[in-house]
Amino acid sequence: MDSKPSAEPVPGATRAPVPVKIVIAGGFGVGKTTAVSVISEIPPLTTEAAITSVAADIDRTGQVPAKTTTTVALDFGCITIDQEIKLYLFGTPGQDRFGFMWHDLAYGALGALVIVDARRIDDCYPAVDYFEKVGLPFVVAINLCDGVLTHDLADLRWALAIDPAIPLITFDARDRLSVRDALLSVLRHTLEKTGAPAS
Amino acid sequence: MTLPPEEADEPPPEPRPYLTAGHDGAVAVPDGTGVSGLRPYLLTAGRVEPVDQTLEIEAQVVTTEFGAASYGQLAFEARDIVSLCATTLSIAEVAAKLRLHIGVARVLVADLAALGYLVVRRPSFPLSQDPNLIERVIRGLEAIR
Repeated sequence: MDSKPSAEPVPGATRAPVPVKIVIAGGFGVGKTTAVSVISEIPPLTTEAAITSVAADIDRTGQVPAKTTTTVALDFGCITIDQEIKLYLFGTPGQDRFGFMWHDLAYGALGALVIVDARRIDDCYPAVDYFEKVGLPFVVAINLCDGVLTHDLADLRWALAIDPAIPLITFDARDRLSVRDALLSVLRHTLEKTGAPAS
Repeated sequence: MTLPPEEADEPPPEPRPYLTAGHDGAVAVPDGTGVSGLRPYLLTAGRVEPVDQTLEIEAQVVTTEFGAASYGQLAFEARDIVSLCATTLSIAEVAAKLRLHIGVARVLVADLAALGYLVVRRPSFPLSQDPNLIERVIRGLEAIR
């Protein structure tokens, strides 16, 4: 007897968890991939995205046909929170021209971690600008590459010109617990913002 | 532009343009030199928007019984996706594992879901602002040692 195949998931498939995500942003080479890889339970995966003709218009890269195949690499990892929740960490592509992807990355995210190299802080400005614009809660984290903070945090905050309410922390992208704590800062900041009455 | 020797000698059996791009550790830099001759959206007949344009890259995908039963009739990427998603994966993972562009994976997954081969569990956005959910994620992260 034929039983009609159903639209149910295949037997044995795990029940799909609720996906949540945190965006890991920052300039090229600031430690985004390192941070994702030390805490992800899977080796970080990389996929690519192309700026399409549609996206190119949004991104204002112009009408040059070659731009339609510009690719950017997207690194990500994941952490199983419990049986029902899976946390994804998406590292934004290091290149500048990926404005079209920011929406996909940021939409529905719990928050963002903007990683900063204190020697070239201006690399993080596009990320800070974008998250401010779309209202995604974010935390700015100085990656202490040598374990030494070369600048005063107050000076860095001034240079970054970020709102006093935005947490500015230091961390080590190579240290799993340090990355965990940085992600916790993001979530606690989001929780604070969520708890506040909408203005 | 001259193609790398392996590409010139042996054309790929199916159009998977990004098999050669960037997976040898090299970062694909948008300077025009790493551009493949095949356009990624060839696989989707040129469509760059999924049938459901709001499909998230973290949405969870799992093959349906119908999809598993139809496996033999599917071809190429559709078949790969239906086969891969016997265990639940995000669209981003599908893209990475099959070396598809994430945009291409979105279009293909949305198509296969619309046809009933896959079910997609999407994040629930009021939920992403839900303090209880965020607290659960915090507790989960705190458990990491």
